Amino acid sequence: MGLVQRAIEAEGIPTVGISILKEVTQKVRPPRSVFLRYPFGHPLGEAFNVGQQRTILRDALAGLETITAPGTILEPGYPWRKHHFDRAISTRREGTAHAPLL
Amino acid sequence: MGLLHGLPNTIVVQAFKHLPWLASRWAKRHQFVEGREIPWTPVRKPVAESVIALVTTAGVHLTSQEPFDMEDPDGDPSFRAIPSEARKEDLTITHKYYDHSAADRDINVVLPLDRIRELLAEKRIGGIAPFAYGFMGHIHGPHLKTLTERTAPEVARRLKEDRAEAVILTPA
Repeated sequence: MGLVQRAIEAEGIPTVGISILKEVTQKVRPPRSVFLRYPFGHPLGEAFNVGQQRTILRDALAGLETITAPGTILEPGYPWRKHHFDRAISTRREGTAHAPLL
Repeated sequence: MGLLHGLPNTIVVQAFKHLPWLASRWAKRHQFVEGREIPWTPVRKPVAESVIALVTTAGVHLTSQEPFDMEDPDGDPSFRAIPSEARKEDLTITHKYYDHSAADRDINVVLPLDRIRELLAEKRIGGIAPFAYGFMGHIHGPHLKTLTERTAPEVARRLKEDRAEAVILTPA
């Protein structure tokens, strides 16, 4: 995915990628990433968990505006399972930007 | 993937899904096309005013389109243009190298078309580009060159023609 992302960015369109394998992202080095420790096949979380999918998508969009250093990987650190995710997210105000961690 | 060499693909796929350390181990040892200089295009306008496009490497395509090639062990570097108004019943996934049972039930897990439409309705983005693009992200050997030199730049050019102003990419 990172290779496609790099090609799009090189063509002049800003990109942000969701990563579920940080080691790969660190090697391929796309310009902007949001990393989640989620299983393969679940970059936006669980099926039908609208809140989780929304939060991750909004974090990716926010990353477009907040990331200023090429290669930054944001790590919101959301738990995987729904009940944990919902609890974690209810303690955070929606739309809060997270500090870049790379 | 040496540790699992010779095991049936379905078992390898489940092992990679449920054992994160296995994926990390693979990623550390596998040779990737490693990036040196990082391409960079500054974001020139607020996301709330920008046309957003989605690109996924999770093997998504229209049911009416030719499936990705599952016979070639090096994968399939081609792509499919998916109209952004596509309904979930029009979409399918051809990709045997990950467990897409969750995405089969809810395509938004890998291609969040419903979610991006909601964000547009709430005016959190300025628009949705006319097409999303689907790749199959399991590409090795000679196909890597095809991807980096031909199909990925072609999608980049198409996104320009589609007037996409920012792109969100999702893996498998």
